[in-house]
Amino acid sequence: MSTPASLLQDRPSPLPIFVGLSTLGHVLAVAAWLLLGWVFAGPKVDLEQTPIKASLVRLGKPRDQKLLPRKEEEAPPPAAKVEEVAVAKPPATDTAVKIPSKDAKPDKSAEKKDGAKDAKKSLFDAFNKTGKAGKPQELEGAADGDPNGDSAKQEGERYYGLLNSVVKRNYDVSSTIDEAERRRLRAEVALRIGHGGELIDVNLIKPSGNELFDSAVLGAVKKAAPFSAPPEHLRDSLKKNGVSFVFTP
Amino acid sequence: MFSRLAALLVLVPSFVLAQRPVIEISGANFRPMPVAVAVPLTQDEGARAAVAEFDAALSFDFAACGLFQVLDRKGFLADAKEGVTASSIQFNRWTDVGAESLVKTQLSSDGASLRADLRLFSVAAGREELKVSEAAPLKDARRLAHKLANAVYKHYTRETGPFETRIAFTRKTPSGRDVYVADWDGKNAQRITNGDVNVLPALIPGGGVAFTSYRSRKPFLFSAQGGGEPVSLIAKGSMVTGAAFSPDGKRVAVSISEGENAEIFVANADGSNITKLTDTKFFLNTSPTWSPDGKRLAFVSNRAGNPQIYVMGADGAGQKRLTFQGNYNTTPSWSPRGDLVAFTARDERNAFDLFTVNVDNAKVTRLTQDAAGNEEPVFSPNGRLILFTSSRGGSRGLHVMTFDGNNQMALPMEKGDFTTPDWAN
Repeated sequence: MSTPASLLQDRPSPLPIFVGLSTLGHVLAVAAWLLLGWVFAGPKVDLEQTPIKASLVRLGKPRDQKLLPRKEEEAPPPAAKVEEVAVAKPPATDTAVKIPSKDAKPDKSAEKKDGAKDAKKSLFDAFNKTGKAGKPQELEGAADGDPNGDSAKQEGERYYGLLNSVVKRNYDVSSTIDEAERRRLRAEVALRIGHGGELIDVNLIKPSGNELFDSAVLGAVKKAAPFSAPPEHLRDSLKKNGVSFVFTP
Repeated sequence: MFSRLAALLVLVPSFVLAQRPVIEISGANFRPMPVAVAVPLTQDEGARAAVAEFDAALSFDFAACGLFQVLDRKGFLADAKEGVTASSIQFNRWTDVGAESLVKTQLSSDGASLRADLRLFSVAAGREELKVSEAAPLKDARRLAHKLANAVYKHYTRETGPFETRIAFTRKTPSGRDVYVADWDGKNAQRITNGDVNVLPALIPGGGVAFTSYRSRKPFLFSAQGGGEPVSLIAKGSMVTGAAFSPDGKRVAVSISEGENAEIFVANADGSNITKLTDTKFFLNTSPTWSPDGKRLAFVSNRAGNPQIYVMGADGAGQKRLTFQGNYNTTPSWSPRGDLVAFTARDERNAFDLFTVNVDNAKVTRLTQDAAGNEEPVFSPNGRLILFTSSRGGSRGLHVMTFDGNNQMALPMEKGDFTTPDWAN
């Protein structure tokens, strides 16, 4: 009959096994992550990427570089629904044709009719002129541009172009900021956008140091919201990481 | 446990590499600051007569300088009789009408002079930002207003405003065309010539004005000082035009026609020591304008087949073409800031409009568009405004706008046919 082992006797510890398994697990997980990352490698992230200069290019015909520039014109608004205009009824007149009698004298009002002809002509002229004045001017832009574009130049990711366009429309800064200071102004704003285009939050992450300018750039983003819904491939990124705007005058 | 560890290992790199796209936005809409200019208050009968003139000049200065949007008084909710100190002002009522700044003035008179106390308030902060007091002879209410407007302008921009400068222009008269010198807003105009045809006035730094006159039959250069009779300055060739004085006032550049061509010359301000700078037989070189440092000149030449803007050294060296867009570019004016040259051009629609060209990169920017004919731009002495002629009001009148083409306004002058303005301190 053997002597029962003492409770105080040294027993093998499970710790080395646990540490070994844990280390092995870590190594395998890292190796798997590296392997999967290599197999399903996405586009390489460029940490030194240059900022996006995005604007929505307007659909149109490129302008001849030899011509003098024209000011950017607003894209025409969508055609408004034509409403029926109530027209006042002309006063009732005697439309019956009068039969001249035998000894009837020539109607002196014939001359007036000529006058009426002139009036008619001038009316047509007026219509012609109105027609010419109303002819929409051909917008300048790019042949593959967008009908909603507001710029004749530059191109980037289309959605960022839209963001740029709406924020820029609200980018109003006080003229009282003096010229010398304008040259050094630069502010960065970070914002996150929800799946429906709503502004989740906006923060001034790099202030310019000028209160007027900083409040103007924050105001530009807030006034521009809500934005249009982001495309599928940008939704999660815009909600999680957001997008930065770097404002310079 | 393991699953948590694995999740952590997978997520950490994605957090580390999380990156926001950066969109650059420039080209801010510089918007004039909404300012409420309250009706000047006065207790004195003597000052009451000057209120209207003072008020009109002060309001125009603020409205035309491009920094402010003067709010319509019809929209004011605040009591017109409220005081001029911060404690007596109900700032919330000024906020309600959209004012960011508030200007209050109080006028008093001792019978001979007019005293004005101006206070500028920040409406949002509800505090006084500036207090200025000035006095002037009672008849000079407008000039007093210009002085105070300059103080406000300097408060915001830290530079001297244009409101105490002078302009020159010609106006068609029954006997021909005469030269006038006036305050910057076209008021207090003094007629310099009397009869004959007098054109292209050039203000002389320090006082006086030079102009091309037919008074001696041939169009030569004359000058007039302090209301005196015009004296001949340069009489050479068949025609002397486009005088421009160097910023230090020591030299004058002109275009002199001789036979088929016209060349640029530079002379001392008294017309002596005349030197030819361009020499292009059969071509025209006209309309010289000085760079602010006096080391270069821009001018018009048709040596490339049509009129274009060129630049050269003040000694005529290094002549090079500056504009390559358009085929009819004339009347250059070099900005006192040095970076831009404003000019008139005829575009492809045969419309005369105003443009600037950047001297360093030759970038052309349009200033006017679709608003009748616009010609003959000239920069204000501080380079922030441009005075020009426009036919948008029917007859050719004087208008002013900011250097980037914004805030275009007519000067408050009676109608007439005005041409070739100049602007100087």
